[in-house]
Amino acid sequence: MQVALKIWRYSAKTGDKALREYEVDAPEEATLLDVLDIVKDKVDGSLAYRKSCRMMICGSCGMRLDGAAVLACKVRMYDIANSGRVPVISAMGNLPVVKDLVVDMDPFWAKFKAMKPYLQPGYQQPLDGKEYVISQERMNVIHKESLCINCGCCVSECNSMEADPDFLGPQALAKGMRFVGDPRDGAAVERLDAYSSEHGIWDCTRCYFCNERCPKGVDPRDAIAKLGAEAMREGIDEDLGAKHANWFVTSAKTTGWLRETELVPKTQGIVSSIKQMKFAMGLVKHGKVPPPFPPHVAEGVKESRALYDLVKQQDRQGALGIVQGERALSRIEPAEGPEGSQGGWGSRDQADVTPGEAPTRKYSDDQTKEAQTKEAQ
Amino acid sequence: MDAKHDVLVIGAGCAGMRAAIEAHDAGADVAIVSKLHPTRSHSGAAEGGINAALGNAGEDNPEIHAFDTVKGSDYLGDQDSIEIFTREAPGDIYQLEHWGAVFSRADDGKLAQRPFGAAGSPRTVYAADITGHVLIQVLYEQLVKRDIQVYEEYFAWHLVEHEDRCQGVICWDLLHGGLKALGGKTVLLATGGVGRLYRATTNAYACTGDGMSMALRAGLPLKDIEFMQFHPTTMYPSGILITEGCRGEGGILRNSEGERFMERYAPTAKDLASRDVVSRSEQTEIDEGRGINGSVLLDLTHLGAERILTRLPGSRELAMVYAGVDPIKTPIPVRPGAHYHMGGVETDTDGLTEMTGLYAAGEVACVSVHGANRLGGNSLMETITFGRRAGRAAADWALSHTTVEVPQAATRDAERELKELLDRTEGERPWRIRDELGQTMLKNFGVFRREDQMEEQIEIIEGLRERYPSVVVEDKGDVFNSDLVQAIELGYLLDVAACMLQAGLARKESRGAHSRPHDFPTRDDENFMKHSITRWRDDRPELSYKDVRFTKYLPEERKY
Repeated sequence: MQVALKIWRYSAKTGDKALREYEVDAPEEATLLDVLDIVKDKVDGSLAYRKSCRMMICGSCGMRLDGAAVLACKVRMYDIANSGRVPVISAMGNLPVVKDLVVDMDPFWAKFKAMKPYLQPGYQQPLDGKEYVISQERMNVIHKESLCINCGCCVSECNSMEADPDFLGPQALAKGMRFVGDPRDGAAVERLDAYSSEHGIWDCTRCYFCNERCPKGVDPRDAIAKLGAEAMREGIDEDLGAKHANWFVTSAKTTGWLRETELVPKTQGIVSSIKQMKFAMGLVKHGKVPPPFPPHVAEGVKESRALYDLVKQQDRQGALGIVQGERALSRIEPAEGPEGSQGGWGSRDQADVTPGEAPTRKYSDDQTKEAQTKEAQ
Repeated sequence: MDAKHDVLVIGAGCAGMRAAIEAHDAGADVAIVSKLHPTRSHSGAAEGGINAALGNAGEDNPEIHAFDTVKGSDYLGDQDSIEIFTREAPGDIYQLEHWGAVFSRADDGKLAQRPFGAAGSPRTVYAADITGHVLIQVLYEQLVKRDIQVYEEYFAWHLVEHEDRCQGVICWDLLHGGLKALGGKTVLLATGGVGRLYRATTNAYACTGDGMSMALRAGLPLKDIEFMQFHPTTMYPSGILITEGCRGEGGILRNSEGERFMERYAPTAKDLASRDVVSRSEQTEIDEGRGINGSVLLDLTHLGAERILTRLPGSRELAMVYAGVDPIKTPIPVRPGAHYHMGGVETDTDGLTEMTGLYAAGEVACVSVHGANRLGGNSLMETITFGRRAGRAAADWALSHTTVEVPQAATRDAERELKELLDRTEGERPWRIRDELGQTMLKNFGVFRREDQMEEQIEIIEGLRERYPSVVVEDKGDVFNSDLVQAIELGYLLDVAACMLQAGLARKESRGAHSRPHDFPTRDDENFMKHSITRWRDDRPELSYKDVRFTKYLPEERKY
C-alpha cells in the first residue's frame, strides 16, 4: 500500500524546522514505526526517532500522530492510508525536542527519580529468607501502575505540566502510587507527604488526557486519585487541593448541593478569600455563583446523605476504595478481607484488567454472552 | 580518557543491571554504558517467566531443575555451570521479591509458579505475561536507589585491550555526538543476543550481537555459536513473540486440518515439549503442506475469556495489534522465529572470559547452561544468577588492582575509522545488505539445516561482507545519528553470522536446535559431544572444539 505522512523535522542545534511530506510503499500490516523505518532506509537516512522492541514494551517510540501521543509501533497504518488522510508526525510534547522525533528525556527521568522509586520494605524480612507472603488481591491494587513502560505519552499530553513544567506529572505520580499501594512498602506516609507538596498530587487538573493517551492502560489519573485518597486517609490534607476536595464532600453530605460561596473560604482561608472579594462579586453579578441565601438543602439531599453513609459503612477509603470501585464497576462482588485488614477486598473471580483497555469497562455484550455459554458448557 | 571507573558494564538489560548492582554492593565504583535507556532493554520483552526450584506449586528441587536443564541442553550444557545455576536460582528469586518485583501470587500468597516446556515441575515464577518488564523495572529501581551512573545512549564500539588486559571501551555518544573513551579496571559485557540476523525474530532492533562481535574482534572465542533457538510461537510476518506461557496455561497447537499435531511428535509432553522439538514439529507440518500461509495455529479459545484476560492479557493485545485476531475468539497464526542464542562469548562460572579484566553475562555470554537448546524461563534466571556472579567477580578483581589506562592510540584508531565511514558518500545503503542477510539466514540456516544450503549461505555471507566496506551513512551529523549506529551494527551482524555458519556446517549431527534431518538426523555423542569454539583469525572464523564438563548426568536419548 502507498502510505503518505508529514513529519516535523527539527534540529535544536540549528533551530531549523520544516514539515516534510513523504510517500512510501509499505506492506499492509505496517505500523507507523515500520513506515518510519522505510523512510529512513530508502528516502532520508538522517531522520531521527527512537525505537527498539517494536512490540509495545520498551517504550522507546513515543511520538505524536496528528497531535496526540502514540507508540509508533502500536499504530497500524492500513486504515489511515486507505482513508487518504496524510497524518502529521511530530515529537512528544512537554519535553525539549532534540532532533526530529527525538526528545530529551532527562526532565522525565528527573521526576521519576524524585519519587524515590524503589521499595522501602516496611515488613519484617521472612525468617526463612523466602518470599513475603501476600495475597494477589492486595497486589492487584498496583496492577495497573506496574504496567507502565515509561514511554512518556502521558507526560506529552499533560495539560497541567504545560502550565507548570515543575509539576511531577502523570508518569512520576503513577510510579509513586506503585509504591504507596504496595503492601510491602513502609514509607507510604513519608511518600504521601512529599507527593502532596507543591507541584504534586493536587496540581493535577483532572483533564484525563493521560488516561486517554496511555498505550498500556496504566490510567495515571486514576493513580493520582488513589494517591489523593490515600493522603486523606492518612490525614495529609493541608494542601488547598485536598481542602477543596474535602469541602465538596462536606457540602454534598450536609445540604446535597455545592455551596460555592463557602468553597473559597473553606479551601483558601478567610484572609485569602477577602482579597478575592472583588472577583467573587463579579462572579455573583454575572450569575456564576448560586446565591447562598436563603440557606436551603437540595431536594434530593436524602439520597446524597445515603450515598455518603453507604461509603462510610462499607469503609471504602483510600486507594483500595478506588480500586474496589473499579472492580465494582466491572461487576465484582466485594468480599470480606482478613481480620484487621483495611478497606474492602475484591474477590478476584472475574477478569477486569486488560492492558490497553480501560479496566473499568465491562465486557461487550457478545463477549459476556460467549463467556457465559462457555461457563454453562 | 573521558572518565574511568572500577567496573564498566556494557549493556543495561537484566544481566547488566544485576551485575552493576552487585559490583556496587561489593564496594566498586561502577558505571553502565548502554545504547538504550536501561528500561528499554530487550530483557523487558521476556514474557513467560523465570525458573527456580522453589517448590511452591509442586515437588521440586535444584537437582530436578538441573536434570531438566541438562536434558533440555541435549547434553551439551556444562553441568557444573548448570548445578551452580539451579542451586543459586531460588535465593536470587527471593532477593528480587524483596526488592519489590511484582510477581504473580498463588492462592496461599506465595509466589505462583506455572508449568513450562520440558520442566518436570511447575517451576516458572511469573508476573502475568510481562515478567521481563517487571524485572527490568525492579532492577532499574535498585539502580536508581544506589545512584549508579549510566552512560545512556552511548554506543559501545571497540574494547580497549592494553597491557594484556581489558581496560575500557570506546563509545559513540548517540544523543550528543562524539567519541568517548571510558576506562574500566574491569569491563563486563551484557549486550544480549543477535536475533536481528534473521528476518523473522522475536528480538528487538537493538539485538545486533554487539558484544559478541567486539569480543571476537578482540581475539576472544565464541562458544557453541551455531545454536540459535527458534521459538515455536512467533507471529507472522513480524516474528513478534507469543509466550510459551500460552501453552503453559493450556494452549494447543493445531495444523490446517485442526489436528493437535504435537500428540504425534511428543506423546507425553505434547504442546509443552522442549522448544526445539516443537519448532521442528511445526516446521515439518508446514513443509508437508499442513500449514496455513506458512504458519500453524495456536488455539487458546477453549481457555475462555476470563483466563486469557487475567493470565495472558499482554499476549492477547499483541495478537490483536500485530496479527489482527482476538485469541478469545480466534486462534493465532504462529511459526518458528529466531529467539535466543545459546552460544556466545565463552566464560567460566564467574563470567570471566579468556581476557584478563573482561567478563560477560546473559545472552551475550556462553557459560553454557543452555547447551544446544534452552528451556523456557531459564534465560531470565541466567541473567540474574550469572549477572550477579560476574558482577561480583569483576568488582573483586577491580578492587584489588589500581591502574586503568586507555591509550591515546585506541581513540585515534577509532576516530580514523569513524572519519572513513562518515566521509564515504558513494556506496550502498546498509538496509539492502541487512535485508538480504535476514532473508537468507532464515531460508538457509533456520530450524532445519542442509549441507548445500549452509554452503550457499557461507558464500552469501562472504559476498555481503565484501559489500559491507562500501556502505554509506547518509546522516553526517552528530546529534542522534542512528544511521551511523545502524551501519556499525550491520558489521556486527555479519561477523556473528559468518561464525555461526562455519560452526554449523562442521557439526555433522543433529543436537538440540541444530537439526540436520537430511544427512545427520541423530545425535553423535562420540564425535560431537563437545563445544564448538570459534575465533576470528585473518579476517575469517577459525574453528576448534572443547570438551563438555560433566558432573553426574549421563547422556540419554531425549524424548518428551
